Amino acid sequence: MSTLSIGGSELDASWFLLLSAILFGLGAIGVLVRRNPLVILISIELMLNAANLTLVAFARQLENIEGQLFALMSMTVAAAEAVVGLAILVDIFRVRDAEDIDDLSELRG
Amino acid sequence: MTTQLLALLVLLFPAGGAIVLAGRGWRAPRIFTVVIGPGVVWLSFLATLALLLGKASGDFTYWTWIKSGSFEVPFGLLIDNLSIFMCLVITGVGALIVTYSVGYMEHEDGPSYARFFTYMDVFIFSMLLLVLADNFVFLIVGWAMVGLSSYLLIGFWYQRRSAVLAARKAFVMNVIGDVGMILGTFVLFMSYHAVSYSTVFQGLCAPTGIRIATCRTFDSTSLEVAAFLLLVGAVAKSAQLPLHTWLPDAMEGPTPVSALIHAATMVTAGVYLVGRMHPIYDVATYAHDAVAIIGAVTALFAATIAIVQVDIKRVLAYSTMSQIGYMFLAVGIGAYGAGFFHLLSHAFFKALLFLAAGNIIHAMKDEQDMRKYGGLWRDMRPTAITFLVGSLSLVGVIPLVGFFSKEEILGLAFSKPDDNMVHVLWLVGFATALITGFYTGRMWWLSFWGKPSLQRPVEHPHAPRLVMMVPVAVLAVLAAVGGFIETRALGVGPAAVTDFLGSVFGPPRWEGGGTEIAVTFLTMILATALFIGALRLRPWTAYAPWAQRLLERKYYFDETYDWAFVRPMDWVAAFALRDIERPVIDAAVVDTGLLATGAARGFSATQTGYFRNYALVFVAGAVAIAVALLVLRALS
Repeated sequence: MSTLSIGGSELDASWFLLLSAILFGLGAIGVLVRRNPLVILISIELMLNAANLTLVAFARQLENIEGQLFALMSMTVAAAEAVVGLAILVDIFRVRDAEDIDDLSELRG
Repeated sequence: MTTQLLALLVLLFPAGGAIVLAGRGWRAPRIFTVVIGPGVVWLSFLATLALLLGKASGDFTYWTWIKSGSFEVPFGLLIDNLSIFMCLVITGVGALIVTYSVGYMEHEDGPSYARFFTYMDVFIFSMLLLVLADNFVFLIVGWAMVGLSSYLLIGFWYQRRSAVLAARKAFVMNVIGDVGMILGTFVLFMSYHAVSYSTVFQGLCAPTGIRIATCRTFDSTSLEVAAFLLLVGAVAKSAQLPLHTWLPDAMEGPTPVSALIHAATMVTAGVYLVGRMHPIYDVATYAHDAVAIIGAVTALFAATIAIVQVDIKRVLAYSTMSQIGYMFLAVGIGAYGAGFFHLLSHAFFKALLFLAAGNIIHAMKDEQDMRKYGGLWRDMRPTAITFLVGSLSLVGVIPLVGFFSKEEILGLAFSKPDDNMVHVLWLVGFATALITGFYTGRMWWLSFWGKPSLQRPVEHPHAPRLVMMVPVAVLAVLAAVGGFIETRALGVGPAAVTDFLGSVFGPPRWEGGGTEIAVTFLTMILATALFIGALRLRPWTAYAPWAQRLLERKYYFDETYDWAFVRPMDWVAAFALRDIERPVIDAAVVDTGLLATGAARGFSATQTGYFRNYALVFVAGAVAIAVALLVLRALS
């Protein structure tokens, strides 16, 4: 297992993975417990970036550039997703006040 | 013009007429229908005449209809003397009858009027296709299509329940025959791998026929089977025992239809079939004998029923069955020329009788019960005279056409060498000839003689229109002098029909002798005596009421069929509806639908519409999969 050298000190890749896991968990909890649609979107972004961090960390650890490439790709998709998600939200806010996502439940069976 | 094109034209004229009338006739002025309807049949007749005068012959293939591997069905027309002869009868007599219909159907409104002529032209086309086809497939197509047009025309007055029932009965009976034809064709195809006449016939080993060149060994059993199956078709179409019950009911149709389809042409298709298939029947001797036996028995059977019928058209219907029985007898014993001569002669005099009867019915406001006529001799002289010509021709009085044709058949049956069965059949035919004299006499005296019946619907019947009288007169002339084209019954003179058809059937296989001519005259004199005697003998049934009842019930054939086939089928149908259709098939379909809607209702409970529910399920799923992977990793 190779190590990373940042600012003279050496860090094991597992630290990055741990950080990533914490970020992902925070994001997931945010999605589940928060009610404001905007915050939910932000939490999703958090989860995406946690995944990106994992990709980059593994890319460094395995000395394989593909992981970084995939992180770039993922960011692009995340940007697109954010645009679409925000656009939908803006549209919803135009017709009604939707501070609580539970108010948007018309599509129940 | 080439023969090939001319032959196609014979078919195309009626087909075109039918198409034009079907598309335009109902909204065009009536004169349009009057011109097109009979006109195309006359054109077809002229084309046939051109074929006759051009001494045309040949087997023309126009295009390939079906091709699959080695199996090939061409659309081809066979022009030989037999098909030209049949086309002449169909288009000639047909043109006269369709012209007559212009007057007879005058009380129909515009669309109905056009519909009638459309059907008539469809019939003429189908019948021509039947006789012109050069292979079994198109024979069957024509065969089924004449059945269809017969169905449509019997049920022409579809507002009448009895007409619809009669049409349905005719159709079902004819389909039995169609199935026989198709199965027979299958059997022949299995043996000879071809559907065209020429290929099949060339494969036969005919002992007396004219095609022996490429004879091949064959399985005589399968040939007998095929011949019997084809005979089923012939018997159904020609209303012979035991598939005859539809013909009397078919009289529900308009009278010109009865004259054209149920007397002159379609019902003689069975005779044509046996004639066309003569290379097969010459070899399949059992089937050939069956043809003769069925014919003779039907002739006698139908004649006895005709004695007691009171409906003038039903008398003529049974008489038609009886006369076709004679034709079957003739072709069954190998006297093909005589059989087809009788076909021609019967077309003349029976069409005449039907059309003359139509004149009466028309004048009597559709009353068909002869007991309600009486004394028409005074009121409808021209019709009475023509009807008398037809009647005497039917009885076989010299020198009318019926005498020469019927006596030729009887004479040939009488003189066939070394065949006792045929001599018995001659006796049956002889008895039939006498009964024919009686029932024809009864019909004529009842209708035309004596005092007018008190129940007569019209006091002073109007004379028929010219367009109705002229075809009747033409047919009367033909029935009177047509016999002179073939006078072999007297042992002298020409034999035009037999000679003409000789190129198909070969030369006559035996000749009558002197005794035969004496017997001929004896038959004629006795039959004529009975014709005259019918005036006095009419109430004979008073002495034998049981016989009258038996004959009036038509030997209980309808009741037997009803009991043996119709009722059990009704019962099976009711059972299937009640115990199979509803509880099994219907239930399966309905329950499948219920299952789907029920399941959908159940699953829709999971669709709460709350985002957090979906997200929770999603995350929980992901966690569960992750845990499962970890556990698996740890275990391995």
